[in-house]
Amino acid sequence: MLTISKVSKSFPGVKALSNVQLEVKAGEIHALVGENGAGKSTLTRIIAGVHKPDEGTIEFDGEIVHWDSPAAAKAAGIHVIYQEFVLFPNLTVAENIFLGHERRGFLNGIDHGRTRQDALDLLNRLGVSIDPDALVSELSVADQQMVEIAKALVHKVKLLILDEPTAVIAGHEVELLFGRLRALRDDGVAIIYISHRLEEIFDLCDRVTVFKDGQFVATETLAEMTNDRLVSLMVGRDMSELFPPKSSAPGPVVLTATNISVKGRVHSASLELRAGEITALSGMVGAGRTELAMAIFGGLPMIGGQVAIGGETFTRMTPSLAIEKGIGLLTEDRKGQGLAMLTDVATNISASDLGSVSHKGWLNHGREKEIAVSEIANYRIACRGPQGAVLTMSGGNQQKVLVARWARTSKKVIIMDEPTRGVDVGAKAEIYRIMRDLADRGLAVLMISSEMPEVIGLADRVYVMREGVITAELRGDEIAENRIIQAATQKRAS
Amino acid sequence: MAHTEQMAPARDILRTYGIHIVLAALIGVTAILSPAFLSGNNISNMLLQAAPLGIVVIGQVLVILVRGLDLSVASVMATAAVVATTFSGQDSDAFPVFVVAMLIGLATGLVNGLLITKRNVSPFLVTLATMTLLQGMRFAYTQGAPSGNVPPIYRVLGSQTFYGVPYNLMILVVLATVFSVLLHKTTYGRQVYLTGGNPVMARLVGIHADRITIASYVISGGLAALAGLIYSGFVGIVDNWVGRGFELDSIVAAVMGGVALSGGRGTILGGLFGAAILVVVFNAVLMLGMPIEFQIIIKGIVIIAAAAIYVRRA
Repeated sequence: MLTISKVSKSFPGVKALSNVQLEVKAGEIHALVGENGAGKSTLTRIIAGVHKPDEGTIEFDGEIVHWDSPAAAKAAGIHVIYQEFVLFPNLTVAENIFLGHERRGFLNGIDHGRTRQDALDLLNRLGVSIDPDALVSELSVADQQMVEIAKALVHKVKLLILDEPTAVIAGHEVELLFGRLRALRDDGVAIIYISHRLEEIFDLCDRVTVFKDGQFVATETLAEMTNDRLVSLMVGRDMSELFPPKSSAPGPVVLTATNISVKGRVHSASLELRAGEITALSGMVGAGRTELAMAIFGGLPMIGGQVAIGGETFTRMTPSLAIEKGIGLLTEDRKGQGLAMLTDVATNISASDLGSVSHKGWLNHGREKEIAVSEIANYRIACRGPQGAVLTMSGGNQQKVLVARWARTSKKVIIMDEPTRGVDVGAKAEIYRIMRDLADRGLAVLMISSEMPEVIGLADRVYVMREGVITAELRGDEIAENRIIQAATQKRAS
Repeated sequence: MAHTEQMAPARDILRTYGIHIVLAALIGVTAILSPAFLSGNNISNMLLQAAPLGIVVIGQVLVILVRGLDLSVASVMATAAVVATTFSGQDSDAFPVFVVAMLIGLATGLVNGLLITKRNVSPFLVTLATMTLLQGMRFAYTQGAPSGNVPPIYRVLGSQTFYGVPYNLMILVVLATVFSVLLHKTTYGRQVYLTGGNPVMARLVGIHADRITIASYVISGGLAALAGLIYSGFVGIVDNWVGRGFELDSIVAAVMGGVALSGGRGTILGGLFGAAILVVVFNAVLMLGMPIEFQIIIKGIVIIAAAAIYVRRA
């Protein structure tokens, strides 16, 4: 269906793609993997007609093609679903599906009846029950994704490209999506699936192509591939190096949360955190893990329960009180809740600890810069110095800025919510090592994670949550995939 | 590609110094066409007019930095001016007038800030409401025809000069310096920028973002009241509409000066440059003998030009 040969693309100062190849057959789901900066996005944009290749050829459906616009690629049957949906929240599902291809009727006016009926047909073909008259803003994210796929079907799609489609959905929604994608594949559609999540790739895809640093590494059949081999192709080193050794001797309890409740989300959850230990909070997305952590930190009000730290007990927490008591929290949403994106590295690092860069309310810019310089070196943050904008940095480096910020103020506990989300494999290993270092320095580390391998590979102890309740506490050899999944999906296991 | 690479520095220069270039060009062109423009008298006159707007702009910048907007400033100005003439018009009244006017300004700011942070109402609606409310109360109080005299000391502060330097300009310079220092050298200022840059993050790093936001509106209200008193001294007569249009002029000045409406970016100095452009434009129209309506037309053109320069800033 699609054959790309010897394609190169340069942007000013960067060679994004160098002599790469990719071959996707009709009726297959083809994974495209690689670390951030490997060239996946650039290749996607070339296929979608957004960029033109400097060299090389693209053969689509048996013809050499030179698209000069995204519209041309679309007309040929290529549809891309980007991470950020291109939907109009205040239009209905049916209107969104036929946007730009309105069903016309009397006097060339829009035929609402036919729009609705055709939309319903498409949604039925996908096997989803979404009301075509609903506003897109009222839909769940998973349903919005289905609307995006329905849009693709309007154009008799031959090649569908999905960029990190599961970054925004979870649990059974992922299963639903995979079911639809398999059905499309069986109808003869070629699908390119871009994801960081290797389990999904093994679950869903037929073949995989690996890119690294803008170059083609390999194309292989997934049935003959192991997880370790795929990771080593992506990073160029072994999987076993990803996780640092676990802790053998955890220290004393530094924080005890007792019967914490958060309205509608967490019901009487209790946990203990120990110095020198990495504790994971596992479970499905929506199980109340983030809310529990937020309540301990004071970011969400607790309606019941108490937090004990440093010999004091609190029934009401605020972020400023939590910071004062030595607790830090890295949110899962770096952009929305973690960073001031338009300001620089130094400002973001000092944000939670303005006291350390000021005297009696007067800022000491020199001191702030010194701290930033030393933290940049300390965590090997790739940036243009203390005055570099965080906006343009990679996910892994933004995460390291947040680690630098919170490691400075967290004297006892550091909570990290999905610390490796949207971070490439190389930076992941680095973040795992940093987390272990923090624990070795005597901090209690609480990690919330949806990724099974990192829970199993990194955590010394695991709490599992399900529907707002802690259903299991696992340690040592008990930390295994089946035990965690059992506790995360079934009624009280312990 | 090479083309855009060469363009980049030019665009950067335009973005960083655009406002200064526009101001210099305006002054240059007007000075060539009308030599009287650069006379000591005219400059002094422009500075005299610039001060009240500049004082309002300081408050407006503080509000926009925390992702807000203050439409009530002009109404606060007019109310303060009406208050100024309520007493006997003697210098002995100057202090009570000051206190009452400031209380009205600060209270308006407090109401704005509380509704915006605690009730989560949009700044546009809240300040539109307080603007209207104050206006109605002012009309009811003056019964549509305010009368009385401004205490002489306000006349001095609003319209006299000291060796050619207006007193009100000195007040502006002092205030602008104080608030610039607060913004850039203190933890308060840093909290303003962090709150505007990302309010959710600000709360999670322990900043009392609500207090910082309320403080901006209170300061804006107070500065508007002060500007109203000074402006009443400049106009000399009492008027229900003192400062009319300043709410939009101050926002335009801030935006032209590079203060991002999305919050967290911009400086007071930038806002004051924006205000200077507006004052020069208004003055140029008069000096060049154009009809007064041209002020409004040219103002529109200047806003579009500024928007075009800053549009890709964020």
